[in-house]
Amino acid sequence: MKRKIRPENIRTSADNSLGKSDIPMTAAVIALVAFGVLMVYSAGSYTASRIYGNEFYYVIKQLTGAGLGLAAMFLFSRIDYHVLYKLRYVILAVSLVLLAIVFIPGVGITNYGARRWINLPFFTIQASEISKFGFIVFAAGYIGSRADKITTFKGILPIIAVGGAICLLIILEPNMSVTICMAMLMIVMLFLGGARIKHLLFIILPLVAAAVVLILVEPYRFARLMAFVDPWSSPLEEGYQLIQSYYGLGAGGLFGVGLFNSRQKYLFLPFAESDFIFSVIGEELGLFGCAVVMCVYVFIIRRALKTAQCASDRFGSLLCSGIAAIIAIQVMVNIAVVTGSIPPTGLPLPFISSGSSGLIVFMSSIGVINSVARRSHRSSALAFVKPSRIGRKTAAVKPKPEKRRKSRSRVRRV
Amino acid sequence: MKAGASTMRRRIFCAMCLLAAVFVALFGRLFYLQVIDGGWLRSKAAEQWYRDLPLKAPRGKILDRNGKVLVDNRDVFTLYARPNAITDKQTAATVVSESLGMSYQTVFDKLGTSASEVTIKRKIDAKTAFSLREKEIDGLYYTLDTERNYPYGSGLAQILGFTNIDNVGQAGIESYYDKYLTGVDGFAYTSTDMAGREVEGATRYLPSIPGCSVTLSIDAEIQSFADSAVTAAATEFDAKSASMIVMDVNTGGVLAMAKSPSFDLNDPPRNDIDLLNSLSRNTMIVDMYEPGSTFKIFTTAAALEAGVVNDNDSFYCAGSRTVDGQRIRCWRSIGHGSQHLAEGVKNSCNCVFMDLAGRLGTNRFYDALERFGLGEKTGIDFSGESSGMLMNRDNVKPVDLARIGFGQAVAVTPLQLITGVCSVVNGGTLYKPYLVASVDGFDGVNVATRQPEPVRTTVSEATSRKMREYLKGVVESGGGSKAGVAGYAIGGKTGTAQKYSGGTIAHGKYISSFIGFAPADDPQYALLMIVDEPQGYMYYGSLVAAPYAGRVFQKIFDYTALPPVATDKKYVDMPDVIGMPAKDAVAALESLGLYVEIAGEGESAIGQVPAPSTRIAEGDSVLVRTV
Repeated sequence: MKRKIRPENIRTSADNSLGKSDIPMTAAVIALVAFGVLMVYSAGSYTASRIYGNEFYYVIKQLTGAGLGLAAMFLFSRIDYHVLYKLRYVILAVSLVLLAIVFIPGVGITNYGARRWINLPFFTIQASEISKFGFIVFAAGYIGSRADKITTFKGILPIIAVGGAICLLIILEPNMSVTICMAMLMIVMLFLGGARIKHLLFIILPLVAAAVVLILVEPYRFARLMAFVDPWSSPLEEGYQLIQSYYGLGAGGLFGVGLFNSRQKYLFLPFAESDFIFSVIGEELGLFGCAVVMCVYVFIIRRALKTAQCASDRFGSLLCSGIAAIIAIQVMVNIAVVTGSIPPTGLPLPFISSGSSGLIVFMSSIGVINSVARRSHRSSALAFVKPSRIGRKTAAVKPKPEKRRKSRSRVRRV
Repeated sequence: MKAGASTMRRRIFCAMCLLAAVFVALFGRLFYLQVIDGGWLRSKAAEQWYRDLPLKAPRGKILDRNGKVLVDNRDVFTLYARPNAITDKQTAATVVSESLGMSYQTVFDKLGTSASEVTIKRKIDAKTAFSLREKEIDGLYYTLDTERNYPYGSGLAQILGFTNIDNVGQAGIESYYDKYLTGVDGFAYTSTDMAGREVEGATRYLPSIPGCSVTLSIDAEIQSFADSAVTAAATEFDAKSASMIVMDVNTGGVLAMAKSPSFDLNDPPRNDIDLLNSLSRNTMIVDMYEPGSTFKIFTTAAALEAGVVNDNDSFYCAGSRTVDGQRIRCWRSIGHGSQHLAEGVKNSCNCVFMDLAGRLGTNRFYDALERFGLGEKTGIDFSGESSGMLMNRDNVKPVDLARIGFGQAVAVTPLQLITGVCSVVNGGTLYKPYLVASVDGFDGVNVATRQPEPVRTTVSEATSRKMREYLKGVVESGGGSKAGVAGYAIGGKTGTAQKYSGGTIAHGKYISSFIGFAPADDPQYALLMIVDEPQGYMYYGSLVAAPYAGRVFQKIFDYTALPPVATDKKYVDMPDVIGMPAKDAVAALESLGLYVEIAGEGESAIGQVPAPSTRIAEGDSVLVRTV
């Protein structure tokens, strides 16, 4: 019971997989990516032709990202995810370094007043996209191997320290929205990992208190933040983007104005091909189209969590639920911003928004989920049942050599 | 203690529930925005999706009572540019500036603005616009606009009024009936991006609705007679102004309203506001004046109606009356002697009317004057009408009453005067005067037609008949003889009023007028001719205003083909009276049946009009100068 996961106890070969890749989820993701390419073309072609003189500018980048993402997804599904466990500190270190590199002049690209991108010969990468997954790998590894400590306050401190460091680097870019996502991801991972609620409140309450104090000290922040409540009061300044998003959604109505027929994309709606692509979806395909897209996300998240429940070890489970969480968080925040439900922040819609680095990382993470699925039990009914029963049932389902079963049961018992 | 598997499973379930709840909430928010608020948001969004170029609605026409066009529109073009869509601004500015006669820099600056759309020039005539359009410069757009076109130029200028550059009525009928004349603009909607660049999609048109056409009671023919009369009179007497109103006696409809000097409505002097204001001022409606002898019509009618006088009453004029110790002179210092009422009217003897006013007393006289519509606006469809001026009834002393009796110490507008006189001669019905007879939609559907509007009865038919007779006498052989037209019976009354400035009489400044109606026995047309400040010794209404009134009557008879009645007018030769004592000269001329005006108060005649031996009709007016 007190044995920890150690690298030598973890299976690393692919041939001992019990399950398969999650085909329905993968299909849903590929469909979403393909749909995204289409929407990026629709939403961005006019802007691209005006700015770059090539209406396919964004869509070519997006297709490249989708191709690379597809390859990465396949690759990660074939690599045993325990490699990630082994390399978790390396991955975390790389994430932090990338975040730091952004601040080196000449390497980091400043855009819209923030340093977020790293300039590579062929394309730019957004460091924060990678760091989110670096954190998931680290947190899953930490919690997965220290299940006994996670219920203590001291035990969650390393996670808070690492998460806090990443948040700090991202907020320096500055990128408020990704920082908030990171913070939410951290809390969700601690929650799913089994941290005590009162300990979580220990983190959340000071954050809320700090926010309240900041607002009370300088009321204009609050006013600015709350501009989303009534965008019409400043239709040409703070409220502009949100009003344009509303126009798109309102114009779409129930069934939309038809694919490619958006009027808002003619420079009215800023970031139509990226952060506000959901508004264009709403305009062209209506409430109906929005609902379908949202259902597909729910389906993907549900499948990812199912894989998390069936994972053959705690690390794999947390890996999947962490990935599901970051997808869910980004989708919720993005749609909430587009619909004016929360203050506006710039956050891409996973799999759909234009942006190749994000696309590649998200698709890779789907590969990781598949990797976990391939090494899990066939049935979710078996997940998290008592170790003694697992041994029997799995044995009954699929007899395995003694040594392997033993090692697996060790893992299961963690 | 550690987190158990069941805890983790429960927490995944919790997370899934939370996710579902948030998604349901977000869906609800989407439903609100897309379905409930959708229509409103869509219409707001549409405002920014289209650039709408207005399609100006043509303004309604103004017609005379026979459907002749008094005002219509001519096509002009407005040139717009969308600077974003112009690639070569230098070339475009060069071509445009040369074609339109604008400076290169002005055009270039306009093309260089950041606005999505800029107006280069308005009111470009069709020929210029078409030739510029053939040069096919990208980013230039033309919209059809209209400009008012006044075929009669300066005719009716003060009545029709004019519009501003946006075709909004500024004065006259154009302003008063602006609501009807203005159409509803249409629009051409073009899909554009945020910067105003055109995007795919056809331009959609919402056609404009032209304004209603307005038909006046004015008769363009009669108007042209009046126009030439006032122009000629103003020129001949070097007058400050001359004006004329012709009214339909039995409806109150204005048939002509002319004023000289006038201005060309097609090119009003917009740069000189004072000049424009004075030229476009419709003095016949908005200004009042002291009427003088023409006012005696009201005094006579009121006295007859009240029964304080009859045909056989005799009046004696020694050249003046003393009222309350104040001597008020008759215009003829040598006096008129004894005369009956009809003669008194013919002689326009001030003493007679002082007596009549005195017999009536203030209250009865004022009641009558108010019945004639004096002291109140007539209610004509024109802005800025004056109500004239009657002294406060309580302040009227006998001396004032006497003066009012012959048309002093009272002020009327020309329109009030002619409107009241119409009621005196038409059998006693005071009509509300009007300029617009009907309004019709552009599609010919009638919107409104005016029926003559009787206001009240002023005098009885008997009084009216008697007044027609008296006034006929004035033209047959009194001061109005110059207004006579051979073969036709015309009634009328002349007036010569001295102008006041600063409360005292302004020497040498007169207003000469004549008011008449024809045919005298069954009046159809009433006419008021006013010459303001005729220069020289010819200032009597009988010699200045009456002749022009006669010419206009003549033309009206010809135009309306009114058959003449045979008359056997006698002609006499004008004797030479120069050098004779004034009294003898007058006696000699009156013995020939001539009506004599005397200029000056000298002892002997030193001049005469016409010259000796001129053949003139019996009863004609002649002038003897004593100074």
